[in-house]
Amino acid sequence: MKEIKEISTRLEIAKKKISNKQEEDGGSNAASFGKALKISTELVAAVVVGSIIGFILDSWFDTKPLLTIIFFIMGVAAGIINVIKSAKKMQKN
Amino acid sequence: MTLNPMHQFEVYRLGPEIIFGTVNLSFTNSSLFMLISTLAILAMLYLGTKKKLLVPSKIQLVTEMSYTFVAKMINDTAGSSAKPFFPFIFTIFMFVLFCNMVGMLPYSFTVTSHIIVTFALAVFIFIGITIIGFIKHGIKYLELFVPKGVPLVLLPLIVIIEIISYLSRPISLSVRLFANMMAGHTMLKVFGGFVISLGLLGGWLPLGFSIALIGLEILVAFLQAYVFAILTCIYLNDALNLHH
Repeated sequence: MKEIKEISTRLEIAKKKISNKQEEDGGSNAASFGKALKISTELVAAVVVGSIIGFILDSWFDTKPLLTIIFFIMGVAAGIINVIKSAKKMQKN
Repeated sequence: MTLNPMHQFEVYRLGPEIIFGTVNLSFTNSSLFMLISTLAILAMLYLGTKKKLLVPSKIQLVTEMSYTFVAKMINDTAGSSAKPFFPFIFTIFMFVLFCNMVGMLPYSFTVTSHIIVTFALAVFIFIGITIIGFIKHGIKYLELFVPKGVPLVLLPLIVIIEIISYLSRPISLSVRLFANMMAGHTMLKVFGGFVISLGLLGGWLPLGFSIALIGLEILVAFLQAYVFAILTCIYLNDALNLHH
């Protein structure tokens, strides 16, 4: 019984050490690398989606190239909003 | 032909041709490597959970670590309300991770370097999460597109922008994974080609470079699986807890 108790206290100490270490690292290098990759594609994807929607609407209503241009600009806005949102989320953590 | 850096991404048919109507369902090398990845995951989980030792063996340790890794990820990003979706996230994470890692082996094929594979995954996630949101919140889920405190004049514009931003999720999710895997493997092949063409005299420099690149690629392979899974968690969180 005594041995088990000793092991459990040792385990707890080791666990504490690990959690302390993880807190020190915070956003480790790999995680920040991942975040950087995430933000760049978010910006681009919204522009692409906006342009595609504009292009489709253009061919529906026969208003080439007006809606493509408008939705391209909206896509850029959406991309910037995406980036701001995920940056805010990062700051929270 | 073998020096062509894009040659490695070619999909070809293995075995007989199977065509249903206009859909070609033949077994390709892509399907083969998906099958290999899936079997590798099943083998790892089976061997890891067969003998439940108090002091874990190596394979049991890896299995338990992957479990706690994903469980912690879900808990940190989506909270406890996302617990029932653990199998879903775990499956996606393990599948993408194993496809990426199997692709790092010589002579293998990287399934995730094709946009149709990653896009199919991302679209299924996107549709599934939208359905979950509507089941959970009903028509109120559309409030996601109406941010608080926006003047009424700007509202139509903002709603369209929010919808574009929402629709861009599957694209950004799939393009990120596909582009990283394809770019990395192409780069490896290009540097490999340099080794051959520079020969014994100058080939050492690109050889060293490609060894370093393999290390980087393994990091990217893990990281992209992680990012894919964590973004799924974040989207799930948006669907489960509307205002956070």
